[in-house]
Amino acid sequence: MRHFFIRVGALAHKESLHIVRDPRTLYLGLVLPLVMLILFGFGVSFDLDHIPLAIVDHDQTTDSRRLITDWTASGEFELVGSLSDPDHAAGIFAAGKAAAVLTIPAGYARTLARGEVASVGLQVDGADGQAAQQALLRADAYGRLASARARHIQVAPVGADVWTRFNPAGRSALFLVPGVTAYVLAMVAVLLTALSVAREWERGSMEQLFATPVGRLDIVVGKLLPYLAMGVVQVLLVLTAGAWVFGVPTRGNVLVLGLASVLFMLGMLGQGLLISVITRNQMVATQASTLSSMLPSLMLSGFLFPVENMPLPLRMASSLVPARYYIEVLRGVLLKGNGWSDQAGSLLALAAFAAVMVAMSTVRFQRKLA
Amino acid sequence: MNRHLVQFLAVFVKEVRQTVQDRRMVFLLTVAPLIQLVILGYAIDLDVDRVPTVVIDLDGTADARRAVAGMMADGTLEMVDQLGSVDEGEAALEAGWADVVLVVPEGFARSLLRRDPARLQVLVDGTDPTRSSVAAGTVNGYLAAQAMQAPGASGGPGVDVRARLMFNPTMSSPIYMVPGIAGMLLLIITTVITAMGLAREKEVGTLEQVRVTPLSPRILMAGKVAPFVLVGLLDVTACLAIGAWLFDVPLRGNLLLFYAFTAAYLLTTVGAGLLVSTVSSSQQQAFVVAFMFMLPAMLLSGTMTPIHAMPDWIVPFTWVNPLRFYLEGVRGVLLKGATLADLWPQLAILTGYGVLILWTASTRFRKRLA
Repeated sequence: MRHFFIRVGALAHKESLHIVRDPRTLYLGLVLPLVMLILFGFGVSFDLDHIPLAIVDHDQTTDSRRLITDWTASGEFELVGSLSDPDHAAGIFAAGKAAAVLTIPAGYARTLARGEVASVGLQVDGADGQAAQQALLRADAYGRLASARARHIQVAPVGADVWTRFNPAGRSALFLVPGVTAYVLAMVAVLLTALSVAREWERGSMEQLFATPVGRLDIVVGKLLPYLAMGVVQVLLVLTAGAWVFGVPTRGNVLVLGLASVLFMLGMLGQGLLISVITRNQMVATQASTLSSMLPSLMLSGFLFPVENMPLPLRMASSLVPARYYIEVLRGVLLKGNGWSDQAGSLLALAAFAAVMVAMSTVRFQRKLA
Repeated sequence: MNRHLVQFLAVFVKEVRQTVQDRRMVFLLTVAPLIQLVILGYAIDLDVDRVPTVVIDLDGTADARRAVAGMMADGTLEMVDQLGSVDEGEAALEAGWADVVLVVPEGFARSLLRRDPARLQVLVDGTDPTRSSVAAGTVNGYLAAQAMQAPGASGGPGVDVRARLMFNPTMSSPIYMVPGIAGMLLLIITTVITAMGLAREKEVGTLEQVRVTPLSPRILMAGKVAPFVLVGLLDVTACLAIGAWLFDVPLRGNLLLFYAFTAAYLLTTVGAGLLVSTVSSSQQQAFVVAFMFMLPAMLLSGTMTPIHAMPDWIVPFTWVNPLRFYLEGVRGVLLKGATLADLWPQLAILTGYGVLILWTASTRFRKRLA
């Protein structure tokens, strides 16, 4: 047993030297996650304001101008120009100059004055789905607003008091930072280890390792430890930056978060190691790890797209993506104030994934030359 | 035959053979991206529906039940349980199995009858701002619609917004996501493989051997990137076919224009790969650097969130992002039937970037080789 620790220690030391002497790997490990967090945090926003709107005002009355002001005043739509004919909308959309066109027909004010319902047209560019969806939602609300005003309704007989819990201001950053954390860590972790074993095979140094008394478990653990240490530093850096730059709160149990982070990093590092062990080729390893970690952690983890909305086969597939559980823990602990009992299931899933990955890397590791 | 052409073909054939030799690489370059496209096409669904809702009906009258049923009617909210107290509802939010808690207070029906303002209470999990605003909007929309029909308020003037969704009338997510996913896949595959291919030759030392051949650096480069441009064109064709077949992604514009955009875009992606390889001495470094280019490119392209929703200071970064212009071009051609007259600025910029990147890369490459 003592020999095991000595061998693992020696391997871990060797691997640490590799990392420290290659500043770019260190950069990938420590600086890139921060840069990404800041880029994502500021760059990705679901507060879809400034939807570019063009108008066709055939009425040209105070009422019609009032309607336009209503639409553009809050900044949800941004007036980018006016057209003479709603049929020009397709051309405007094709050139990407506006995402919606509001058409007020002639006689709009007169129809209202007669006490009838006036129709206005809204054409929406469906090629950008997110913007289109927001435009439709808001169009509904503005329609109701205008109707209520036309009818001088003051107090609706029924109303709802909406309390938004956990993120009352509806800030995208609070929603995104946990997801970004998981995403960035997943990728960096898989990539770091995916190349490490494949490189030894390619350069022939694996052969030299086989001439020593180290066993396959020694190699696997020795390779994992330095990266795990780096991963823990990464998690701390990213979460600190999240709290500091974006004001993400920590409302729950930090120990739950710590354990989940270690298990998650172990699982992702193990996945990279498994890829590396199987492929023995750096190019194949990178392609395999980008495709197996980058896109699933982005798309199937609930980071940007809710898992509940996916069709059943994909919901099942997403239950194999560790980032999904880690994001649940992050959101639960940071935003909702969760503790052990709330996140026991996610912790268990993360532990299972880590155990399977490390075990499989060890088993698949063949101590012979191909 | 022209001497340069012979040399080019020799490098080309060598590169193709080297790639095809590893069957896993062939799989990763051709089949894997298509599997990703299919999975992601189904995964991404930004429609908010079936939001798990817990109802706490403290009134228990027929009116209350009718109001609750009315709010669930459009499928945005889905009742998952009925609970007895608000505390239980809050616990459900924290545990995460409900995103909305709808509380009908005692005396709701009586207030309605007396035309007093009856208040409903809605608790929303604000972790995901889009989801919570849509959920709250559904409740408010239903109540506002009821208010319009209430005695004394119905009839009279009103404004009816008739929205028409162009290019994508069913609001299908894959239709606008497939072009973006295709662009991301091309970026991941071609940039990384070009960057690592040259880095591998350096690492293994075969680039030294190439220097004793009569090959000029430019021909060497052209022969090395040409196979991957072809792979990219092949992949994009398959994406187009699968998109049309599985997701009904239309082709409304000119197919030639689509390929012109793809070719120009591939020039930028392989050019970026080459540029990366000139600054890296190992495959791991090449990958790290390629990665630092790819992530922001994917993020700031408008694929995930529209560019007009980004903060002003980040928008200039999108001007130097090839994926942004490719996405605009491809969405324009496929979905909007845009022509060269609409899209020439995007095509010109993309081609310009392609030439610029390739020229810079080849100059740097020649210097390093010499």
